[in-house]
Amino acid sequence: MIMTSRIVFRPVLPEDYPRLYEMESDPATSLTWRYRGHLPPIEEYEWALWRQTQQIMVVEGRSTGTIVGYLQLHDTDLRAGNASFSLYSGPEHRGSGLVMEGLMAFCEWAFGNWPIRWLYAHSFEHNVGAFESGLRRGEAVRLGVLRERMVVDGELTDVHVIGIERDAWLASPLRRRFNQLRARQPEPGPFPS
Amino acid sequence: MSSGEQPIDQPEVATWRLAEATDVPFVYRLVTQIDPRWYRFSRHGLEPSAMIELMGSIAAGAIVQDAAGQPVACAILTDSSESGTGTFEYYALPTAHAQQCATQVVSELLGAVFVASSPRRLYVERFENDPVLLGDVAHLFTTEVVLPDFLSIDGVYETRATLVLTAEAWREWSETSAEVTQ
Repeated sequence: MIMTSRIVFRPVLPEDYPRLYEMESDPATSLTWRYRGHLPPIEEYEWALWRQTQQIMVVEGRSTGTIVGYLQLHDTDLRAGNASFSLYSGPEHRGSGLVMEGLMAFCEWAFGNWPIRWLYAHSFEHNVGAFESGLRRGEAVRLGVLRERMVVDGELTDVHVIGIERDAWLASPLRRRFNQLRARQPEPGPFPS
Repeated sequence: MSSGEQPIDQPEVATWRLAEATDVPFVYRLVTQIDPRWYRFSRHGLEPSAMIELMGSIAAGAIVQDAAGQPVACAILTDSSESGTGTFEYYALPTAHAQQCATQVVSELLGAVFVASSPRRLYVERFENDPVLLGDVAHLFTTEVVLPDFLSIDGVYETRATLVLTAEAWREWSETSAEVTQ
């Protein structure tokens, strides 16, 4: 678990699935999210959620206690030392920065707990803006663009391949600031009071 | 030279045919000889039953044979998607002879892929030190993604690139080469 003043970043629990399902039912993202418009019925959701996935971490807003998004570590390749990740923000929290803060926690957690050198993300053209600040600062790099890779709602769209390298993350000023913020948070006790 | 003898330096003619279930032992041997370059298979190691299961999930494949009818290379089409893309994986035994045979027929194989599956965009993924088997059509491919230092092969990290061949580039080249040969 990682805490900042705004978020709690923790492994998903089965009781979180209904909230995740509710978020993923957002029609605005149904075609671009992993189910490509075919969100399974709730009784098949757990299997679909964990497909090709090694770990799911949720991001909780501390002020509300509500799950605002989640991150998935998937397609882990320990021979090459890389893995992919996906990031999903609940519709009412997009633009709040909470899930991007969760991404910092995710990098800290993934590189600290898995033997991986690279994290990759595939982002549709219209979502890639979420990575722009990281690309500008250098924590992330654009490894290429698969032109007209997918068809979304009848339109061809590019897919950007984004990479975060372990050494670049460990040396980044952003990571240093993030961990300074973390250090100011009291660690949660083992039992709720 | 007596009548019927082949000139010594004349290249032999390679051929290809669709893969069959009986080709699995050859493909397994190929994967082991170039390990880990055919990464779809080598990624999880070379445990035979897992590899055979993976081979069973592949929709279409072709075997390249040398003039003596011996298998020397294998091509498969994978990841065909509703969005009109696919991935062409093509590997030869690690000998100059096998690689030469593979290079000879690559344009025929690509032609067969475009006729059979009509992909908009056909991808090839390769490590930087993989032998180049794309022959005289290599220039039609453009690099779209480069994953630096992707995998350690014999102690040296190699970059992995994704190249693409578009249906337009293929059509243009095919029409031009057909005109030249007429």
